[in-house]
Amino acid sequence: MPEIAAAAVARRGLDPRSKILLVLLVSLAVMSPGGLLFVPAGVVLAIALALSERAWSRIVVIPVAAVVMYLLGWVLPLLWTNPVVTVVAIGCGYLIRFVAAFGVGAHLIATTSPTQLSAALHAWRLPRAISVTLAVMLRFFPVVAAESAAVLDAMRLRGLAGATGLARHPILSMERFTVPMIAASLRASEDLSASAILRGLGSRHVPVSLDPPRFGWPDLMLVLALATVAAASLLLPNPLTTVIA
Amino acid sequence: MIEISKVSWRYPHADKPALRNLDLRIAPGQFVVLCGASGSGKSSALRLMNGLVPQFHDDGQLTGTVTVEGMVTTDVELDALGLVTGTVLQHPRRQFFTDNAREETAFAMENFGFPREQIQAGVDANIADLAERVPVEQRLQHLSGGQQQQVAIAAATAHDPRILLLDEPSSNLSADAVRRLAATLSDLKARGVTIVVAEHRLRFLRDLIDRVVVMRDGAIEIEWTAEQFRAVPDDALAREGLRGEIRSPELAILATAGASALNPSPAAEVLDAALELVGIRCRLGGRTVLDLERAAFAAGEVTAIRGVNGAGKSTLARIITGLQRSAGTVRLDGRVLSRRARQRASAIVMQDVQRQLFTDSVQAEIDLARTDEPAAPDTAVVLETLDLAQLAERHPLALSGGQQQRLVVATVRVSGRRIVIFDEPSSGVDRRHLQSIADQIRQIAADGAVVLLISHDDDLLALAADRQLTLAPIARGQSASRGTAVGLTRPFEETA
Repeated sequence: MPEIAAAAVARRGLDPRSKILLVLLVSLAVMSPGGLLFVPAGVVLAIALALSERAWSRIVVIPVAAVVMYLLGWVLPLLWTNPVVTVVAIGCGYLIRFVAAFGVGAHLIATTSPTQLSAALHAWRLPRAISVTLAVMLRFFPVVAAESAAVLDAMRLRGLAGATGLARHPILSMERFTVPMIAASLRASEDLSASAILRGLGSRHVPVSLDPPRFGWPDLMLVLALATVAAASLLLPNPLTTVIA
Repeated sequence: MIEISKVSWRYPHADKPALRNLDLRIAPGQFVVLCGASGSGKSSALRLMNGLVPQFHDDGQLTGTVTVEGMVTTDVELDALGLVTGTVLQHPRRQFFTDNAREETAFAMENFGFPREQIQAGVDANIADLAERVPVEQRLQHLSGGQQQQVAIAAATAHDPRILLLDEPSSNLSADAVRRLAATLSDLKARGVTIVVAEHRLRFLRDLIDRVVVMRDGAIEIEWTAEQFRAVPDDALAREGLRGEIRSPELAILATAGASALNPSPAAEVLDAALELVGIRCRLGGRTVLDLERAAFAAGEVTAIRGVNGAGKSTLARIITGLQRSAGTVRLDGRVLSRRARQRASAIVMQDVQRQLFTDSVQAEIDLARTDEPAAPDTAVVLETLDLAQLAERHPLALSGGQQQRLVVATVRVSGRRIVIFDEPSSGVDRRHLQSIADQIRQIAADGAVVLLISHDDDLLALAADRQLTLAPIARGQSASRGTAVGLTRPFEETA
């Protein structure tokens, strides 16, 4: 039962409030002007978090994406100068920041249940409208992901998902994907919201959590790790901000 | 106490009312079944009792009054009604808000602000009770349909409401799971909970029922007391489109070799047939989910694919249709087909057919699917036999669920695909529609296709299947897998 063990490990991991703060902090750091300085640290953090929850696909995807962005954005322009490469390089210079931000965000989404998220937001005394909205969004991600995958499967079987079709009729292809995806997601979400409202989600009662969030040693480790990578970012040479001679 | 007096209700944008002049009074502790064919209004009547009608549908038209535990349902907030009622919707997996049984049973009590000690005690009691029938530490999406149902009932009743409402709880359940459901409902009835069930299948509730209300076209047609109902013969139920005894299909077992088969045969005993699988092995998320040494499916036949959740039914469908990588080969008419070729040769009728309607009219949908394949039947004939000809200009999303399903079947038939897989096509359909779905499945097989039918519905299998292949989950280390290909991990396809 690997997934159960993994889930149990994740649940004993960081406090959801730490994860939310971490996502905000990393996003702010890497998206700000001069944020490239912190991108390697963000990527390392994202990989470490993926390792902690044994999310194998992310352990592979994050470093690969970062390396590809680096090659396209920094190395390729040195080897081959032309306008297309320049445009791609500028794009990758921005996208590499998203790799770090999304990597950390993915950990939050993968390891936080809607219940834990609302408990965390409640502990911060955030208004109900915000906490309920965010909890519903968190619950809705997997619904959309599952529906999208199913619609893509259906398109493949009808021969509608090919690259040639997309290139020849991009708008039509998008429409054929989005309309069923939204229709199916809406239908799935109807039961979900009906059931959640009837079971008091967003009601006037002050919610009580069975497991109130508590900071623990993993959160302390996170603070230490953050301090370390922040220091490293400032002190060590950074391949993204040093010009390759 | 539930009192419905002179209620009529029309859904927004509907051309006729779903409920007409409904009068119903349900005393505390009663067990009432609302039944009737699809579209008779039984689910709408149920939704009156928790306030979803009218509060969940803006712009619907309601006349008359509904009183539940002394509250007029239009005057109070939905959660006030939720506090005194528990609701289990038709698809339990769609209504879970968390991913494990513990959080799910705590959910309502947490939201209603119960004291923490009471939540803890309630969750402990529920989990202890569930643990006898459900692996409570598993993720909810990985449980079988019957287990999900048990969790949904526990989650709906943990805050101790006096009324429990269930919408078609037995759809998608195997005969075993239906028996467990009846036992759970019997316990709740013994605790004095008022229970209202909207259902097509009735016999399994025989010993619990206090009253049966048969609906037709939004109004009450017949009311039976418990004694009267027991005396009603099965053909009288059939006239109302109701399902009687669950038929246990007696299907010949398809000889299949491999660790995934519940009753494996030696590979040599698997006869040649149109669609052959050899050495199919698939690992997902570090676990072998499917291992079939050899299996063969004949053209013109319908093979039922059965087995508990996690046994690999969806994975098998995805491998055959070329949507999932695996080790091994798939041959059609003796030719090895690549994944791409399988995608071109096969079709799936999904459980949620909205996912596979891509255009803006019925005619366009058919045109998109049509091929020049000589084997494909004539479009006009297909539309006519599936009762879609007069709907040609309609938008597919504006059709009813049954019409959408028939439209997808029509696209499958005109595209002349050789391999056709039905994934739980009968969830929540009444007796009449069940027969029509079975006919469509038979017709596709008669066109010469290899048809696989994934279903838990014993009634449907009895009508539509020729043979069965029952899959079983592979225990760790049981499979002799080697050199397996690993595809991208997908969330478990939704099967009940």
